[in-house]
Amino acid sequence: MSVRMPQSNNVVIQSLTQIGSCGLFLLTLLGAIPRSLRYFRETLRQIWFVGAMSLTIIMVCGLFIGMVLMLQLYHVLSIFGGTSASGLVVALSVYRELGPVVTALLFAGRAGTSITAEIGLMRATDQIDAMEMMAVDPIAYVATPRFLAGLIAMPLLCCVFSAMAIFGGHLVGVSWLGIDNGTFWSNMTAVIDVHTDIVNGVLLKSLVFGAVVSLIAVFQGFTTPPTSEGVAYATTRTVVASSIAILALDFVLTAFFM
Amino acid sequence: MTDPVRTTPDDSTLVRIRGLTTVLNGKTIFDKLDMDIPRGKITAIMGPSGTGKTTLLKHITGQMNADAGTIHVGERNVATLSREELYKLREGIGYLFQNSALLTDFDVFENVAFPLRQHTRLPEVLIRDLVLLKLQAVGLRGAARLTPNELSGGMARRVALARAIVFDPMLILYDEPFVGLDPVALNQVLKLIRTLNQTLGITSVLVAHELEAIKQIAEHVFLIANGKVVAQGDPKTIANDGSAWTRQFFGGEADGPVPFQYPASDYAQELGFAGAKT
Amino acid sequence: MSQPRSSYAVGTGLFIVLGFAALAYLATQTSSVANIHQGDSYTVDTTFTNIGQLKERAPVKIAGVRVGQVQSISLMAGHDVAEVKLSIDKSFDKIPQDSVATIFTSGLLGDQYVGIQYGSAGKFVAADGKLARTKSTQPLEEMLGKFFGAGGVADNIGGTYAVEASFTNVGTLSAGAPVKMAGVAIGSVQSVQADPVKLNARVVLAIDKRYNEIPDDSAAAVFTSGLIGTQYVAIQPGGSPDVLKNGDEMILTQSAMQLEDLIGKFMVNGSSSDKKDAGNGK
Repeated sequence: MSVRMPQSNNVVIQSLTQIGSCGLFLLTLLGAIPRSLRYFRETLRQIWFVGAMSLTIIMVCGLFIGMVLMLQLYHVLSIFGGTSASGLVVALSVYRELGPVVTALLFAGRAGTSITAEIGLMRATDQIDAMEMMAVDPIAYVATPRFLAGLIAMPLLCCVFSAMAIFGGHLVGVSWLGIDNGTFWSNMTAVIDVHTDIVNGVLLKSLVFGAVVSLIAVFQGFTTPPTSEGVAYATTRTVVASSIAILALDFVLTAFFM
Repeated sequence: MTDPVRTTPDDSTLVRIRGLTTVLNGKTIFDKLDMDIPRGKITAIMGPSGTGKTTLLKHITGQMNADAGTIHVGERNVATLSREELYKLREGIGYLFQNSALLTDFDVFENVAFPLRQHTRLPEVLIRDLVLLKLQAVGLRGAARLTPNELSGGMARRVALARAIVFDPMLILYDEPFVGLDPVALNQVLKLIRTLNQTLGITSVLVAHELEAIKQIAEHVFLIANGKVVAQGDPKTIANDGSAWTRQFFGGEADGPVPFQYPASDYAQELGFAGAKT
Repeated sequence: MSQPRSSYAVGTGLFIVLGFAALAYLATQTSSVANIHQGDSYTVDTTFTNIGQLKERAPVKIAGVRVGQVQSISLMAGHDVAEVKLSIDKSFDKIPQDSVATIFTSGLLGDQYVGIQYGSAGKFVAADGKLARTKSTQPLEEMLGKFFGAGGVADNIGGTYAVEASFTNVGTLSAGAPVKMAGVAIGSVQSVQADPVKLNARVVLAIDKRYNEIPDDSAAAVFTSGLIGTQYVAIQPGGSPDVLKNGDEMILTQSAMQLEDLIGKFMVNGSSSDKKDAGNGK
């Protein structure tokens, strides 16, 4: 099953065509959710692939982001004698921006590309057609489970990332630079709000990013010409389009929800 | 499960194609093509490359819709079926892809078990027995736990065949089943196709170029060219009917009704000699 | 047959559990719904005349070592003193009864914490006991305070009464700024206007009716929370037996210290040698 796209030489019209067919593809995906419920195990398996398999990179990156943030902030804030607030600033910047955005970028690079390449290769080797022939709807069996898996895995990955960043910040700030443990936490708890920072920041943003990245990845996989150049090109495009979409949506979400 | 393909056993024609017309990218693939594929026999469809033989198979399974004309499989008009009815129809059709199209996520066993798991709620023991039965039929029971990329081309095609027959379909479509096989693997596949047809009575449709192989097993041959059936009949008569098409195709001549040259402007003129004259 | 399938399910389950555990950690450990109890501890009551910018969960230290945290801060009913409950780790249960609890600031702009200096009494403070001897924040620290949280404005549930005060300079004080006593918000600034006759600023303070026993010779001062924080009016209680009533005027006032003056003082004090050199150079 392939999604056919009209071709045009105009870059603007091409981009609009892409966005338009991507939107229509989203509707197809959502429409296939009831049918894909019977492939629940497949969704679980995809959560394993896109989520659990990304854990290592997410945890390592989260740790280092927290550590480097704390190191930078400590030196800047020490000019004003406000080093005790550095834990708070680490938490705020991770929850509101860095956590969702960096997790989503890593997710696009790690899981998005593999989704696109996998689906592209499945089309190149007729596996998608074979499913059609075995009376298995490829949208419900291949596309929707991967989309849902991205949707579910992203917020969880973002939570793990943020927790690791806080841990990294604590490691550098408290164990190394000597900020008081209680001060570190008390400043944080005094300002961080569950609704604004964790629900609207970590959860909402990462949910939207997860949906966008996995939609783009699945869409590129299904629309790419089923050849090796087509797959390579689509993989690159997944990363580029996802990154642009993530940063643009980040601005929109920040403007509307914070 | 009512199988639309099995509803009219008395009718000798399983697939009836009338007035099929398809235009792809401005090129006419089929031009009012008529074809009757007999039930219970091995039918071969031959023709020059690019005549749309694979497209024809896709029309029969409803993966692609024609611009005009009707295709009836049994009593069902493929083009008018809803998605559910189409999927119901496809459960009764096996399809062997040119490159096997095994699912790379699963091992051989799970590939063959895939249609069973998707469409039935059979207990695991029964699935196991059914799958091993089909794998035994293609001689690959011992390879059940290999992954698709550990298989040779011939083995992969046999696994794909086991998968295609796991539901005991009434119709199997083979898309170029002999391409890229060594003589041993080719004979194995040939034997399997014949056995399946003879023992289970499965109607088989082959798209292939291998003359010798087709002469061995096909009971009916269609020769397609320029969007039409140019010759049909049993392989021996058709090879000797003396028309230009069959002479070129079965005799293997380079030039004939199928031109050696791709359509082009006048050769001399393009090289500039025509201009030099004036 | 289903072995590879179930291992995915287990791994996926583990991943989901880990994700939710991280979420729970973020929500409970780093945000405002955080649980303030950690480990076994006992509570000790103290009172301060001024807590400055002390916050809940601020550390409690003995000899600079953290032994617990501030559990709650409230204004004692009918008095202008702050009631602070300290939650101290069970393993430090031998604090002499005559120990002194002091509010310290870590550095010029650092956080405030409660330091306990041991006394010499043979008896120890019991759980839910009281440390009677306390020292409040120093005036300088009170002025410089710290960066965050100038303190909320007291709610007006009980109604307010108005008191006037004149200042020669209110700095950037504006209507709505908090009025604090002993560091706790007890009301808000109702209006700030220039007096056309006396040529100074007339400030009307709306003070919560619950605090109706403020002596009428109390002083009002305009303070800044931190170097770059917001300004507020601090009331320093006097000793008169009469109390402030609605419409009264506070005689003793202290105007806002200009930030430039303040910094200038530090610079001058901190670099006296520079000044000498400059003098010699002439």
